[in-house]
Amino acid sequence: MTTGQPTAGRMVQPRTGVRQLRAALPIVAPFLTLLVLGIFFSVTTTTFFNPVNLNNILVQVSTLAILATGMTFVLLTGEIDLSIAAMVTLSGVLSAHLFANLGLREPFTTAIPLGVATLLGFISGVASTKFRIPSFMSTLAMSLVASGLAIGISQGRIVFQYSDVLRVLGSGRLFDDPANLRVLTVVAAICLLIGFLVLRYTRFGRFVYMTGANKSAARLAGVDTDAIVIACLTICGFTAGLAGLATVGRLASAQPQVINSFLIDTIGAVVLGGTSLAGGRGGMFQTLAGLLIYGTLRNGLDNIPALQVGAGTFFKEFITGIVLLIALVVNVLLSGRASRDKT
Amino acid sequence: MSDQPILQLRHISKRFGGLQALDNVDFDLLAGESHALVGENGAGKSTLMRILSGVYSEYDGEFLLDGQPHRFKSPADALARGIGMIHQELSVMPELSVAENIFLGRQPLTPFGTVDWRLMNERAAAELTNLGFPDVDVRRPLELYSLGIQQVVEVLRVITSGARILIMDEPTSALSPAEVDHLIMVIDALRAQKRSIIYISHFLEEVMRVADRVTVLRDGRKVATLKREETNADHLISLILGREIDARLPSAVERRNEQVMLSVRDLTSDAFRGISFDIGMGEIVGLYGAVGAGHFNVAKALFGMYRFDSGDIVLDGVPFPRRFSARYAIKRGVAYAIESRRKSLFLDEPNYRNITLPHLDKIGGMIPRPQRELAVATPAMRRVNVQPSDPRSAVGTLSGGNQQKVAIARWITHPPKIFIVSEPTRGMDVGAKNEVLGILREFRNEGFAVLVVSSEPETVLAVCDRIIVMSRGRIVAEMANTDAVNKDTLMRLL
Ligand SMILES: Nc1ncnc2c1ncn2[C@@H]1O[C@H](COP(=O)(O)OP(=O)(O)OP(=O)(O)O)[C@@H](O)[C@H]1O
Ligand SMILES: [Mg+2]
Repeated sequence: MTTGQPTAGRMVQPRTGVRQLRAALPIVAPFLTLLVLGIFFSVTTTTFFNPVNLNNILVQVSTLAILATGMTFVLLTGEIDLSIAAMVTLSGVLSAHLFANLGLREPFTTAIPLGVATLLGFISGVASTKFRIPSFMSTLAMSLVASGLAIGISQGRIVFQYSDVLRVLGSGRLFDDPANLRVLTVVAAICLLIGFLVLRYTRFGRFVYMTGANKSAARLAGVDTDAIVIACLTICGFTAGLAGLATVGRLASAQPQVINSFLIDTIGAVVLGGTSLAGGRGGMFQTLAGLLIYGTLRNGLDNIPALQVGAGTFFKEFITGIVLLIALVVNVLLSGRASRDKT
Repeated sequence: MSDQPILQLRHISKRFGGLQALDNVDFDLLAGESHALVGENGAGKSTLMRILSGVYSEYDGEFLLDGQPHRFKSPADALARGIGMIHQELSVMPELSVAENIFLGRQPLTPFGTVDWRLMNERAAAELTNLGFPDVDVRRPLELYSLGIQQVVEVLRVITSGARILIMDEPTSALSPAEVDHLIMVIDALRAQKRSIIYISHFLEEVMRVADRVTVLRDGRKVATLKREETNADHLISLILGREIDARLPSAVERRNEQVMLSVRDLTSDAFRGISFDIGMGEIVGLYGAVGAGHFNVAKALFGMYRFDSGDIVLDGVPFPRRFSARYAIKRGVAYAIESRRKSLFLDEPNYRNITLPHLDKIGGMIPRPQRELAVATPAMRRVNVQPSDPRSAVGTLSGGNQQKVAIARWITHPPKIFIVSEPTRGMDVGAKNEVLGILREFRNEGFAVLVVSSEPETVLAVCDRIIVMSRGRIVAEMANTDAVNKDTLMRLL
């Protein structure tokens, strides 16, 4: 066979429009969902569509965004971290304890809790790679460890003193001007941005995707997949720690109970955006979309008057759940349709 | 075999973006017929079969089943109409028993709604006996059996779910000669049951044994449909290519430097024992054995992907540690193209990323630049002649043979000290086989060491300077590849 001679079908003009739209569907879909939800709530409620409330959405999803940054890394490798809610609690309680009871000051009251959360994430990673414990098991165990530590450290008591850094992080405004954005929102945006840049442009990011897409192939190409998984769980530990510090500032106290909704909300938002639980597909951009959808949904339901009184309040959870389910199914269908031709 | 077609395809065209994969193809199938489909890599064989089996529902043309027009929406839809496909990468569950695999998802139930194990095992055993495999214990896990048996089990799964038309996409590319014989037996048995078989293969001698009729595709068009009596292997080659092929490999130049590059001593694991050999610079050594002889595991062990218990590996004078990773092996200059594409490629990722992944540290540092990656990947793809050659399109959009070429291209961007290739030509057409073997020969001539691991005697005979034969985990012979050595010599040693 002479080289260069085409051996396959001939090239013809592609029917671009439809095909490109199809290929873009998985990326566009979350934003369409967002648009639909936004219009829906704007029409059905009077309080949803105004600058103050839209800003509220950003504030409400900020903590979630920090958590979701780490979670996106973990899900992309095909693993999962179930310990983040407990890590949030541990990090907050630890920081407040160091400050109030041991008299430590910055930088120790942020560095130590962050360090501990990062270390626990690292340990989950080592357990699930070197000892082959599935990450949902190792992180579930880690979640018990973290919440146990939190209870032990705090003796079950709520702590009201904490460092100023936590206050600024959790409830401060930029330059202390009430007209400005919240510090937390900016920190969240920075987290997402760094995550985006790392995943999109670095070699490490490439390895993360490849590890999740096909672990054996990644290993055959010399990728140290264990190290990648460990790194991602470590990152997730760090972001959980950071979210923990922010939560203390936001709630103006360090609470020893684990707020389980952090875990469900985070995974829900990331997956809503279109990052696959099986690994290898998705990214920070999708996570941003997922966060906004999730935030809009929660906030929008809060603005429907009928759901604010009596039995309606119970319905809110129910409706959130249903909408989440529908959105997930739609997402799976859309991305499944687009990739089916590749089988 | 009757003369009434049970299946007719009329003017089928299928386009992928700018690429016309099928162009006005007619195809028909008779009851009880085995019909082979041949053509170059990328000719459109798999695409046509995916239309037939419901994987693709968007295409132009007419599809008649028993004279009635149809358009399947999914593979399940096609199966419900009696058309089942066996993909090259089997979809069996290795840990489940043979019987469970045959009745996966359709296990017979007792009146209480539990699985009727006795009935299921009996029926599975009966089906296997029917096809000539009475010795298989249907209660044992499928993974204990060879790939050939696993394939038969997959065939049984498809036909017990009611398929009367069975499509097999390159079913024999990973089988040993004995297993191929078995499969042909199975196909004969199926024909006797009035079932029809469509059979894709690059092995034309096999096609001449199996097929009642042969359809040849070239560049997405049908070239001819012929009865077996009307053709022969050479005639088919000329139809497939539509031009002359240059079957000569670059000639082997005299070795200038006889220095040993890789030296293996007493390598032992559960799959092989006491393996010792040397490979010199500018030498191609063949490691030949039947499927299951342990030679593929030796290759994996040299790359840190299979644990060995004792023995020494020395590359370019420097020993390897007892345990090492693929990463380490790559750093030391070992390249390894595994026999399974699915295990080595990222189908959703563009070609160039598949090619540059092992070399990212050399190409881009911490922040890989697509431009530089393309500058590395594009020439490599051109050298192995991947078609279509767009480095940015996903590997998954290439035909099977072209995917294999990408898997090879990955390792020629940065010439390694030793290149280990397992089944380098699996799934490749006549021309492509020659191209890849030619590249290995060029490598050798440039002074690199190459280890070709294969169960195809033709492959090792074509390029190797020396051939090592393995059987049951041991080396049973080693010989220079002279004119006196041929297929018989090798196969008799197994
Ligand atoms: N999903 C897809 N997207 C784009 N192009 C595709 C897709 N699937 C196949 N093609 C192209 O269609 C052509 C026909 O491919 P096909 O897989 O049918 O070839 P084949 O005859 O089976 O080849 P082989 O012998 O290598 O398996 C090839 O050029 C291939 O690149
Ligand atoms: Mg094919």
